[in-house]
Amino acid sequence: MTAHKNWKLFKENLGTQNPVFVQVLGICSTLAVTNVVKNTVVMCLGLIFVTALSNLTVSLLRGVIPARVRMMAEVLIIACLVIIVDIYLKAYYPDISRQLGPYVGLIITNCIVMGHTEAVALTQPPTAAFVDGLAAGIGYSYVLLAIACVRELLGTGGLWGFNVLGGAWVNWAIMVMAPGGFFVLAVFIWIVKGCFLKPARKEKE
Amino acid sequence: MSARWKESVRTVAFMVVLSLVSITSVSALHLATAQRVNRNADLYLQRAVMEVADVTVPADAAAVSRWFAESVEAEPAGAPTRFRVRDAVTRDTVALAFKCRGRGLWGTITAVVGMAPDGRTFRQLRILDQNETPGLGARIGEPWFMRQTAGKRGPLKLVPEGTRSAQPNEIDAVTGATISSAAVRDMLNRLLDEAPFKEAAP
Repeated sequence: MTAHKNWKLFKENLGTQNPVFVQVLGICSTLAVTNVVKNTVVMCLGLIFVTALSNLTVSLLRGVIPARVRMMAEVLIIACLVIIVDIYLKAYYPDISRQLGPYVGLIITNCIVMGHTEAVALTQPPTAAFVDGLAAGIGYSYVLLAIACVRELLGTGGLWGFNVLGGAWVNWAIMVMAPGGFFVLAVFIWIVKGCFLKPARKEKE
Repeated sequence: MSARWKESVRTVAFMVVLSLVSITSVSALHLATAQRVNRNADLYLQRAVMEVADVTVPADAAAVSRWFAESVEAEPAGAPTRFRVRDAVTRDTVALAFKCRGRGLWGTITAVVGMAPDGRTFRQLRILDQNETPGLGARIGEPWFMRQTAGKRGPLKLVPEGTRSAQPNEIDAVTGATISSAAVRDMLNRLLDEAPFKEAAP
C-alpha cells in the first residue's frame, strides 16, 4: 500500500507534477547552469541531495517543529545542507565550484526545495517525504540535462567537453548565453505539453 | 505559567537548538576541509601566474606546484605581492606577475597581472576572485577581457567593448559594467605607479 503510494509520488514528480515543465519552478537555475552538461550534472546532484535530505529531515522533525516558525526551521535545514554541498565542491571540485559560482548557494532559495518541504514533508511520513524529495530532484534533473545537451551541442559543437559535431560546425553563440536557455526551455515545455500532457489533463476534467 | 508563554519558550528553544546543530555541523565540515580548500586556492594562484607568464600549464596539479617551486620567486615584501618567473636553465627573469586588488562594484577584485621583465609592458591578467554582477561586471573574468592587456603599456584608457583597439594604451571595457571595468583599469594603472620596477631587470 505505502510502496504503491510512494511509487505514485515518484511518478508524479517525473511526469504530471514535474517541478520544471508543469509547476515551472526553479527556472532561474534552469537557465543559468544548463550551458555546459558537466556543470549541470553537478548542479543536479547537489539539488537531488538537498531536496531528498531536507524532505527527510523536515519530515522526521514534523512533530516537533512549532507551527509558527516552521518556515524558519525549513530554511535553516535547507541552508545547512546547501552549504555542506558548497563546501564539499570547494574542497574536492574547485574548478566546477568556481564555474557554478553563486548558483550552488542559490539552491537555498530554489522554489522546488522549499515547496516540497512545505507541501509534502510537513504532512507525510519520512519514507514518503524522502521518495518525494528524491523524485522532485530527479524530475528537475532530467529536464535540465536534456536542455543542457541541446545547448552544449549547438553552442559548442561538443558534449561533456568532447567535440562531437566536427570542425565544420559553426557554434551558435546564443545557445551558451542566457537567451538560449529561454528558447530551449520554452520549446521543451511546448513539446512536452503538446504531446504528452494533454491526455492527463483531460482525465482530470 | 500560561500555555501561551510555554509555547513561546518551546518555540525559541527549538530554534536555538536547531541553529546550534546546524552551526556545529557546518563548522565541523568547514574545519575538516579548510586545508584542502586553501591548497586549492594556492594551486589556482600558481596556475594563474603560470598562465600570465605564457607558460603552458600542465594538467597535473603536482607538476604545476613543482614548476612554481623551481621557477618562481615570491617577493611578498612589496605592497602588491610580486612573483619573479625565471627561466629553468638560464635563470634569467622571463616575466613578472603581481597579485593586485581593486575595488569593484560589490567587493574586492583580486587578480594576477602579468608583466614583461621590463616592468612596463603588460601581459595577460587573470581574475582570481570577484563578486561583480553575474552577466555584467562578472564578464571581466571572460578570456577575451583577460587576454587583451597583453602587450599594452599604460597608463590605460577604456574604449567601448568591441573596439579591440590596437593602440598600446587602450583596452576594451565591458558593456554595462563601467564600474567593474574602471576598477580593473585603475588597478593596472596603480600597479604602474606603485610597483617597484627599478630592480626588475636581472
